[in-house]
Amino acid sequence: VAGIELPHKQWPELIGSLLSNLPQLPAHAKQATLETLGYICEEVSPDVVDQDHVNKILTAVVQGMSSTEENDVRLAAIQALYNALGFAEANFSNDTERDYIMRIVCESTLSPDVKIRRAAFECLVAISSTYYEKLAPYIQDIFNITAKAVKEDEEPVALQAIEFWSSICDEEIDILEEYEGDFSGESDVPCFYFIKQALSFLVPMLLETLLKQEEDQDQDEGAWNIAMAGGTCLGLVARTVGDDIVPLVMPFIEENISKPDWRQREAATYAFGSILEGPSPDKLVPLVNMALNFMLTALVKDPNNHVKDTTAWTLGRMFEFLHGSAMDAPIINQANCQQIITVLLQSMKDVPNVAEKACGALYFLAQGFEDAGSASSPLTPYFEDIVQSLLAVTHREDVVESRLRTSAYEALNEVVRCSNDETAPFVVQLAPVIMVELHQTLENQVAADERQSELQGLLCGCLQVFIQKLGSSEQTKYHLMQYADHIMSLFLRVFASRSAAAHEEAMLAIGALAYATGSDFAKYMTEFYKFLESGLQNFEDYQVCAITVGVVGDVCRALEDKILPYCDGIMTQLLKDLSSNQLHRSVKPPIFSCFGDIALAIGENFEKYLLYAMPMLQGAAELSANTAGADDDMLDYTNSLRNGVLEAYSGIFQGFKGSPKTQLLLPYAPHVLQFLDSLYTEKDMDDAVTKTAIGVLGDLADTLGGNAGPLIQQSVSSKEFLKECLSSDDHLVKESAEWAKLAISRAISF
Amino acid sequence: MAPHDLRRSFKRPAISDQERRRQQSLLRQSQNRRDAQHHARFLASTAFSLPSQTPELEPSFSQPEHI
Repeated sequence: VAGIELPHKQWPELIGSLLSNLPQLPAHAKQATLETLGYICEEVSPDVVDQDHVNKILTAVVQGMSSTEENDVRLAAIQALYNALGFAEANFSNDTERDYIMRIVCESTLSPDVKIRRAAFECLVAISSTYYEKLAPYIQDIFNITAKAVKEDEEPVALQAIEFWSSICDEEIDILEEYEGDFSGESDVPCFYFIKQALSFLVPMLLETLLKQEEDQDQDEGAWNIAMAGGTCLGLVARTVGDDIVPLVMPFIEENISKPDWRQREAATYAFGSILEGPSPDKLVPLVNMALNFMLTALVKDPNNHVKDTTAWTLGRMFEFLHGSAMDAPIINQANCQQIITVLLQSMKDVPNVAEKACGALYFLAQGFEDAGSASSPLTPYFEDIVQSLLAVTHREDVVESRLRTSAYEALNEVVRCSNDETAPFVVQLAPVIMVELHQTLENQVAADERQSELQGLLCGCLQVFIQKLGSSEQTKYHLMQYADHIMSLFLRVFASRSAAAHEEAMLAIGALAYATGSDFAKYMTEFYKFLESGLQNFEDYQVCAITVGVVGDVCRALEDKILPYCDGIMTQLLKDLSSNQLHRSVKPPIFSCFGDIALAIGENFEKYLLYAMPMLQGAAELSANTAGADDDMLDYTNSLRNGVLEAYSGIFQGFKGSPKTQLLLPYAPHVLQFLDSLYTEKDMDDAVTKTAIGVLGDLADTLGGNAGPLIQQSVSSKEFLKECLSSDDHLVKESAEWAKLAISRAISF
Repeated sequence: MAPHDLRRSFKRPAISDQERRRQQSLLRQSQNRRDAQHHARFLASTAFSLPSQTPELEPSFSQPEHI
């Protein structure tokens, strides 16, 4: 109830009355009150609770956490604090109040009650991400208490203690990425390099955890334990500090990698795999060259499945981060390529979890060769063997119970993507094999069978990759066209399943097919249209809706004016989508872009939609013009909305170009120019919006010509904004600006 | 207020192939849109009109309150 009423400034006395005589209450009532406060803080947004109430809540919570209180009260208090942290910005900016809160949280990590200790660490994790920049004075103490917990405490507590450091890594990775992305080397939050400073203590602590594996953890999808958390944190530490981690981890690997105890061999391998992202190739390539042969042997010969699983995963990481045309020193050459493939194909026959990781390794092996150019890939001689082995994996009887099937199809996709002129004939032959597989699942269609739908999704995904690959060259496109009717009929049958994921995959693949077939796609429209429409109506699975909107664009470009008979239905649905408060907001910007696609395809026939579309565009433009007080996420969304609106304007103006009906657009020109001017004044457009905005100025001038000349001349956009874009470093912005300059000069001289 | 799940992705690639396919489709679509725009911009301004074959649109739509 508070969640509903507080945002409307109703029930203002609630928090005061909850807290009025808290200290005098019996323990169970205190507990209930604190739990209620916790739920309120969880439910309502910080801006609806005034600072006076926040102060009172925090005081009550901190008193409740005192060691003199009963355990149930302390637990309720610390859980409430977790939820109240977002409210406590002012309190965390005050040194005395922050010191007090931090002291009481740190003390709670030493409570005799495991639930309280766990909740206290949970609070530290939340504080690490919410108030990273305030942590410096406490980090040494926190290191000591987390180290003690990781070493000695029960698993739920130790996991939270590790998570604290993972969370610090997340923060520092983000900050350092921002430093790199920004030439001024600045970030809103400074990096305190906590990980770098703690490195020599942190790494040994994490390496110790790696030896605490559980038996069979790789077979259990839901498993999460201290060894897994420790290795994950080690990987994040490597990404945070780069090269500095290598000398700290190598002695552990050397000491344990050949030990008789599988736990030691697995921990050493996992440590190696974990640090392969972050340090420089200069540092890692020599080590990988030394380790590669050892790993290949271990993958086949190690008696322990857990070690083999981690070894295959580590090989995958080697290929993912250190293999590819961008690398100066290749780790894969003619000499070792055959051995690598032989080992991986053999491992694909191993137990499902090992086979799954072998498929994953093959995925990244192929990816590294993706841009190797035609006919020169070292994979070429093995292409057929690889494909056969992957197909064999998909037919294994035990494939359904694990992620193995997904992994095998994903690897097959990547192998197909990196095929070249020499291997193209195999891909041509392979397409019907996948079509038969999809056909078989459709023949045995049971609408509610999740596994079958999952398989249909995988097969549609696979066919999407085939369509893209075969459609990309004239030679193979001929073969694709032979299959097109059959493929399309299979995709349409997939819509009979109830699985949103399968629909999404079929829709994506149909978009690719529309692009590949061009105007020939018109023959599928009668049958396809109903599925297109229901995709646009799917508010609940908004990703299906988003993908369908994209496919409408594909179909518009493929069919051009042949899309016209379907436009009333499509526009009706798109306008409904925009008006809906049920549809996820991320779908709305692409819908505006889609208006542009439709307008460009049908030209002046867009006339009858102007009356409905233009007010929508104007409304969204006004909403997106002002960004005062928006956070980063909101600004990103606003920019995507602006881009959508501008793409719509661009398509509409260009669609009407040369038509006698261009005067219909004239009444909208002042608003469009005003929108462009306001965007320029706001100064917070990203490059994509800048490019589209200046392009719209050109499109407006191009289509309306002399009729809009005086209006254009009055706008700021045609002067300062254009001038700035003409000297932009971004070549796409510059190109659009040159277009606008040309179109404006024509319009003005008209 | 149950404890919060802190499991992280374990031995899984950062993005799935499905996510990659989705991103590649979006990229292709925006490139194709750019190409279509570019083509339209540099097409000679020749007037031609397309026959109107479709019935009038009926619904009345509300303002975009929920964007």
